[in-house]
Amino acid sequence: MAAALVIALPGLLISACSSQSGSGAAGGADAVTAAGRATVGRAALASRRPEAARAVRLLSQAAQAAIVTSYQGQEVVTRWSAGGGSVLVSSIWHVSGGQTVTQTMDAGASVSSQPYLSSDTDSQSPEGVLGVTAPLVQLLESHYVVAYAGTGSADDRTAQVVEAWRDDGSIAARFWFDDATKLPLERVVFDTASHVISQDVLIDVSFANPAALPQQAAPASARVSADPQGPWTGPLRRHQLLGLRARGWQVPSGLPGGLSLYTGARTQAGTGTVLDLGYSDGLSMVSVFEQRGNLPATLPGWRKTKVNGHVVFAAEPDQRSLTWSGRGMVYTVVADAPAQTVEAVVGALPHDGPTGFWKRMSRGITRLASWANPFH
Amino acid sequence: MSHLGDRLSALVDGELGGAELDRAHAHLAGCEPCRAEAAELRALKRKLRGLLDGAPAEAAMTRRLIAMTGPGGPVPPRRRLLRVVPGRRPAKPATGPVSSRPGPGPTAEPRSAFRPRPSARRRRYLVLGTVSLVVGLGTAAFTVGGGGDAAPGPRITPPVEMYSVEHAITTGEVPFPGPAVGPSSAPSSPDGPPP
Repeated sequence: MAAALVIALPGLLISACSSQSGSGAAGGADAVTAAGRATVGRAALASRRPEAARAVRLLSQAAQAAIVTSYQGQEVVTRWSAGGGSVLVSSIWHVSGGQTVTQTMDAGASVSSQPYLSSDTDSQSPEGVLGVTAPLVQLLESHYVVAYAGTGSADDRTAQVVEAWRDDGSIAARFWFDDATKLPLERVVFDTASHVISQDVLIDVSFANPAALPQQAAPASARVSADPQGPWTGPLRRHQLLGLRARGWQVPSGLPGGLSLYTGARTQAGTGTVLDLGYSDGLSMVSVFEQRGNLPATLPGWRKTKVNGHVVFAAEPDQRSLTWSGRGMVYTVVADAPAQTVEAVVGALPHDGPTGFWKRMSRGITRLASWANPFH
Repeated sequence: MSHLGDRLSALVDGELGGAELDRAHAHLAGCEPCRAEAAELRALKRKLRGLLDGAPAEAAMTRRLIAMTGPGGPVPPRRRLLRVVPGRRPAKPATGPVSSRPGPGPTAEPRSAFRPRPSARRRRYLVLGTVSLVVGLGTAAFTVGGGGDAAPGPRITPPVEMYSVEHAITTGEVPFPGPAVGPSSAPSSPDGPPP
């Protein structure tokens, strides 16, 4: 079938088309439509299990291909939420085993960002494309039932299709891997009601080794933004991260929505240490950034809103990042996850409650007593 | 209303430092209400310290408390306040242990019993003073206790772009620095987004 997506934006019309067809276990040309609507029972899931081994192998190969294959193309990332849709188009270059450069298009007046470069050259970060990395593939296999779904096509190339299903029988995601190289070409993620909440497509892909990465040709205004405030120390292992609890950091081993702590990093900003905690179930990805301190009363570029009963700031315009302070720590959540999961995550982290009369009096008396204390 | 909010209390306490302190001083230089409030808080703090300086020495107070609660000794009876109706003399002088302290003697007893008015006035003053102190301290505590928890630490403005890039690197995605948000353009098929 042909799935066409046309998103109209002020000053920009983006049309991303992909042609997909399945001929395997997913059930041919109606696979996408049927899967989007359908939930299947456990019996159907059981029937898919013989294909699980093949799916696991394909996922591992795809994670490896994202590192060892030289490629370049355009990545179109589309997200939907109750508030509307958002789309981002990036050019991406990758040299086998080496550097990845992403340059995000200036998508018209509605996007404030300048042309954007990111570079991962330290070989310490899990390189991947369309969120297919080795650690995330492991999480995907442990949280979902994966099944091979036959062959299809994406970006006019023959592709192998793999699906991830929830225990309740609803489809969670579908992947298209290039048949020749196993590079991920497309990923569609569904919420529990089988609605598409994100679609990532790699188009105009070529597998030649890029003669020169475009970093040198970047405009002067462009920024290399991988670590504008200093290098991140990491990735930190899970036991290292849990050990940080003794030093007063909030490091939950898991977050609502079945998200597991799987990675983390640390950096030194001008205002102190920043801790990054990565949580995922293989599809939903939530980064929790922590820094000791408090938020100012106003935050330019952020909007005050209420999430799960808590007052937080949401970054404009996409509101994909949320921040608040609680118990002397500033929390910032960057999430690629369903809205319900994000709400639950926000609710699970510490917040400052509203100051009641007695709490305020108690704090005042403590402060007055400290003033009267000659040894203070 | 204080423009510095809870930072004013922190400033008076000497808890601010670095750029935060500079900013607070810069604000004070140009803000009369905040300067006045800071002066009031400092005066209140000085008075509280002064009250404590005038109090009995701690060691003496401790000795007296220990003496009162020490084992073996009889607990001194509470002093009974004499209720006297004006114009009436007591039929006979009060007897029994009125006080454990050495008093002026039996001849002095009637004289003290016939001075009811100053005692009542003193009591009124005592009650009035106590109420004023409680109200004053309560108001001060409520004022000083406002403005959030004021936990120590710097004011943080999250560098969302840096976080977005780090999130992208961690998850194998492209950075999402500032996506465009358009009207809901979701496909209406079951494959589409939630309504």
